[in-house]
Amino acid sequence: MNLNPFWSMSANTSRKQRPDNEEQSGHGEQRASPARLSFGKKQLPPIPKNAAPITKPASLGTPVQSANGTHASYGPFYLEYSLLAEFTLVIKQKLPGIYVQPSYKSALMWFGVIFIRHGLYQDGVFKFTVYIPDNYPDGECPKLVFDIPVFHPLVDPVSGELDVRRAFTKWRRNHNHIWQVLMYARTIFYKINTTEPLNPEAAVLYEKDVQLFKSKVVDSVKLCNSHLFDQPKIDDPYAISFSPWNPAVHEEAKERMFTYKRRPEDHHKGTQVSGLSWVKPGSTQPFSKDDSPSQS
Amino acid sequence: MYDLVTMMASMVANGNRDGQSLVLKGVDPETCMIVFKNHWAQVVKILEKHDPLRSSSTLPSLSVINLSAGSSGGPRFGPIPGDEASAVQNYVEHMLFLLMEEESGQAGAMGPILEFVVMENVMERLFVWSLRREFTDDMKLEQLKMYEMLVGQARQPLLHHKPILRPLIMLLSSCSGMAAPAVEAELVLLLNQLCCVLAKDPSILELFFHTSEDQGATNFLIFSLLIPFIHREGTVGQQARDALLLIMSLSAENERVAKHIAENTYFCPVLATGLSGLYSSLPTKLEVPSEEWHCLHKEDWLKTPSLVQFLNSLEFCNAVIQVAHPDIRDQLVSYIYNGFLVPVLAPALHKLTLEEVMTTTAYLDLFLRSVSEPALLQTFLSFILLHRHESVHILDTLVSRINTPFQLGTVSLALFRTLIGLYCEDVMLQLVLRYLIPCNHMMLSQRRVVRERDCYSVSAAKILALTPSCCSPDRSPPPLRQLDSILFSKGAETANNTDTAEENESFPEEDDDNSCTIGSEIYLDVSYLHYLYDARLSISSCMRACQVWSAPYDGEEPPPEKYQPGVLEEPGLKSRQTQITLKRVPQPLVQRPQPCPPPSTEPPSVNQLELEWDDSYDACPVQTAEASVESKSPQPPPAEPPKHIQEMRRTAIMLVKGSYIEENEFQDDVMVYDLVAKKDARDVEHGKNKPNGTKSEDSQPAPAEVPLKNGLSVTLPTAVMADNGKNNLDTKAKGQTDCNSNLQNTTAAELGDDLLAQYEELIRTLDTQAVGKLVKADGETKKPVTPVEEKEEEEEMDFTSFSAETPEPEKLQSPFGTKLLSGSTSRSYSVPFTGPFVSVLLSRLENMLSNSLYVNLLLTGILAQLAAYPQPLLRSFLLNTNLVFQPTVRSLYQVLATVKNQIEELAATRKDFPELITTAQHWLLARETSFMAADKNSSSGSTHGETARILKNSPPPKPKAISLDQTEVFATVLFTEFLKELAAIAQEHSILSYIPMEE
Repeated sequence: MNLNPFWSMSANTSRKQRPDNEEQSGHGEQRASPARLSFGKKQLPPIPKNAAPITKPASLGTPVQSANGTHASYGPFYLEYSLLAEFTLVIKQKLPGIYVQPSYKSALMWFGVIFIRHGLYQDGVFKFTVYIPDNYPDGECPKLVFDIPVFHPLVDPVSGELDVRRAFTKWRRNHNHIWQVLMYARTIFYKINTTEPLNPEAAVLYEKDVQLFKSKVVDSVKLCNSHLFDQPKIDDPYAISFSPWNPAVHEEAKERMFTYKRRPEDHHKGTQVSGLSWVKPGSTQPFSKDDSPSQS
Repeated sequence: MYDLVTMMASMVANGNRDGQSLVLKGVDPETCMIVFKNHWAQVVKILEKHDPLRSSSTLPSLSVINLSAGSSGGPRFGPIPGDEASAVQNYVEHMLFLLMEEESGQAGAMGPILEFVVMENVMERLFVWSLRREFTDDMKLEQLKMYEMLVGQARQPLLHHKPILRPLIMLLSSCSGMAAPAVEAELVLLLNQLCCVLAKDPSILELFFHTSEDQGATNFLIFSLLIPFIHREGTVGQQARDALLLIMSLSAENERVAKHIAENTYFCPVLATGLSGLYSSLPTKLEVPSEEWHCLHKEDWLKTPSLVQFLNSLEFCNAVIQVAHPDIRDQLVSYIYNGFLVPVLAPALHKLTLEEVMTTTAYLDLFLRSVSEPALLQTFLSFILLHRHESVHILDTLVSRINTPFQLGTVSLALFRTLIGLYCEDVMLQLVLRYLIPCNHMMLSQRRVVRERDCYSVSAAKILALTPSCCSPDRSPPPLRQLDSILFSKGAETANNTDTAEENESFPEEDDDNSCTIGSEIYLDVSYLHYLYDARLSISSCMRACQVWSAPYDGEEPPPEKYQPGVLEEPGLKSRQTQITLKRVPQPLVQRPQPCPPPSTEPPSVNQLELEWDDSYDACPVQTAEASVESKSPQPPPAEPPKHIQEMRRTAIMLVKGSYIEENEFQDDVMVYDLVAKKDARDVEHGKNKPNGTKSEDSQPAPAEVPLKNGLSVTLPTAVMADNGKNNLDTKAKGQTDCNSNLQNTTAAELGDDLLAQYEELIRTLDTQAVGKLVKADGETKKPVTPVEEKEEEEEMDFTSFSAETPEPEKLQSPFGTKLLSGSTSRSYSVPFTGPFVSVLLSRLENMLSNSLYVNLLLTGILAQLAAYPQPLLRSFLLNTNLVFQPTVRSLYQVLATVKNQIEELAATRKDFPELITTAQHWLLARETSFMAADKNSSSGSTHGETARILKNSPPPKPKAISLDQTEVFATVLFTEFLKELAAIAQEHSILSYIPMEE
């Protein structure tokens, strides 16, 4: 049982619906310019009604040349999709006890929460925010800031920022991914490192007086958990917020979460599949399947 | 008492003919019974007076009951006076009305009138009476209406009672054969009603069988009577088909019905060969309304009644296959294959003129779009993919036609658009995937790249970087330069000061536009958002569809090593195909020992490339039929229809023409029922054994596959097929066949040559024209800047490109790549090759600037659809610009780069080019908008692609100051948009392929 029975996590939307964000922006755009309702292929940019040229210059002090060095107009798309790709990688990794959700406002900001299930920080639930530099993936490594500064040698006691850079001295595209940052954030709670600490007090205590350290950690975990139901620090529709367990609201969602696992089997029976195949598995011959199509 | 009678009479006259049911309220059942008996007594009096058999009493099947003994004098012969006949008619009408209105008794028991009718055998005697008189169409009509009323409106179940059912069946039997339209209409209506009753109460079904069994025949009369109406036009046909469908769904649950239909009736052959008959009446040449026309839309075929009729029948086949018992389904499907596709459609696809072939192609495309049942689709697809016409796969022929100029090439493109849109693994395997499975098209070190994702949209960026400078968004004139303000936020700025961010970011919920910005703004090409949206839809629906596929095609599964070329000859393929061929042979009407194909040994390592390679060459014109046959002796012969199909075909054709001719002719006092029974029995035998006359004298033991008779080829010239002696025919038969087929082969080959020679000629002239045009425009020879080393031959013809890239010295330089294919061995398989389909598409794409706008729309649509497939092999081949291919392999990116260079050169030489581009953009945009509007009005969603919709035949507004002949201008605009489309697909792939499917 991963979930503490006394509370439940509820992001405003389920975390796997990141694509909504994209769609929403698409729709919003559509609404803004009704002339562009169509989604036809080979579509040309429509002519605005008043045909007034947009006078704002494309370069508004913005670094337009994208990482890929092509047309400036597409740079933001590349960035957006790079981040989406990162996010899908996170999903694929299935990091234990870690949940993230990109913000509604910006793909460069992700909300997250981490559940610690054993060790010194057992039962800790730490909310955090990941900030990704806008020249990603060619910039520095993303920042990870805990909402409430956890008592930990590598977490800044004031800002709550985790010292990520020690793990990623240079952020290398194709090699470094955001899931690794999240993974690292999880690791620090299980393997405690005290070298060059951001929180010297914690480091020293850990080295000299583990018992006191432990009790401080317990206090810190308690503090964090006591603020669990607080409003999200950053006001965003996709910010992660917690509320006390309410069967009327959460029971159904929980039910769905558990039934989801069974779905793949039902998938073939229930849903109408539009594709066709008569290829026998392991063969590359067409119509090699023994049974006729609709008998299956 | 008589008041009541007159009242009822008027009710019958007024009410029932209008179909209104009257209720005898307040009339007590006893009175009704008395009236009924009374009437019957009167009727019997007249009946007996005229009964010629009363004395001799030789009516074994009818039990004549002497109700009122001695009431009449001796039997009288001669005509029945009219007043007596109408008196009977009057009484009967009243009686039936009473019967109809009677409620069933306690606990479902018979009502008293019904009981009386059953006891007295009223219906049967009435029927015999009507036979006694002249059994004219009017009489039949009367009787049919009588039963139609009874069956449709009776308040208690009547058909369970033999004394009612038997005369009904006799009446129905008497209606087989030619009849006046009015009788037919009434008959079908009655049959339809009977089927409705059957569908509600299947227990009656048994009775229908039992009743006929009494006469020694297994028979399902209702069904057989409906068969002649299967292909009928109008209401009658529709009612008959509806009724048959009811029986079909009954068959799904009732083994006996299924068995009967499959084994003892002509249903499936009539249905399938009926398609052939109807097909033959379709126009052989379609009028092409405009240059942009490329496929038959509903508006088109609605104007052609013969096409409507064909589609009705095809739709009916589809429906039958959907609901019927698997036995019937399998039988029907194989009859369609062997009775329509192979003997009719295959030759039609190889007709003489471009127009005819184009027309057939358009029909095939329409059929594919009309069929929805997987089993039927499978039949069509296996015909396209596996059937060989004159030893060339249909698919190869179709692929080669993509490169033909004029309408045929366009229509062929549309056909492939349909095929690709089916999301069928088998199709994609044959067209593209099997050439990619061995991974020979890329460098060995690149194999791991196949599955890699393009995390940072590098490929999309590279594709978009090909945007010609004249079309760059930065250079577009203001009206088209819609760089709308999508506001992009930079979350990083808030990183250091979350507190202030919290304050600043008041985020009103109702603020629905995209102004949810934190950082600075960037301006975007907004149309690209739509491409992304489309790409997302297209890829995700494709991914969903491909879940049923057998393998991921990711460069690991199927394993490339297993399918390395030239390692092992694969025996499996051949036996597999033989097996398929045999499987296609429909079940014989009666079980007989069948030469079993050897169970195909599973191919441990398959080299199907080799065989297929040959085929692509076989598609080339110059090859002689003999040579190919010889060199391919081990190949499976084409499927041939078994004998009984051929026999039935003749009958079926007659049926289609509307005459279900049987030998029986009714004479007044013949024992109708016996006759029917005998006929049925004979039918069964007829089906079981030889047909008739000449054939049965043939003393041969007649194995399953006996060559066609010449007589048949007269009616259906296309049906004659080569028989390469797959089975152990005895020599006599074989000789006969060979003669026959040789004859056919030569003519067909000649015709084929002719046709293909035509193409060649056309291609030659056209290509030189096109090239000349470009060269003229350029003023200098074009030089590809892309890494691809272009061979000159590539310009000339599709097939050349397959061979021309062979780096080996033994490369054969035949201009059309046709003569080099003496045998499989001549081809070295170490030469990477991505298949004829991809080659043809790419070579057409390379000529984009000289293609018409409509061809380019189809072409780019097909490529975009291909690119949307999630299989890593295909995705990486088309979209991954980082993948390093073998030097001889041309990639989509390379071709695009070539086109870009052509455009740049063109733009450099023409000063007015930017203006023209703008004009073309405006025109295309206006066109798009008008189609959108038209599309909204006709809400019917076309499932077959956007381009199809765009290409619909509403007249486009006249372009101002630009002629459609300036294809290069339109091509340039389209090219730019195509790049966006591809880039969007690439980007969506980079995120979609890794998200577990949800929905």
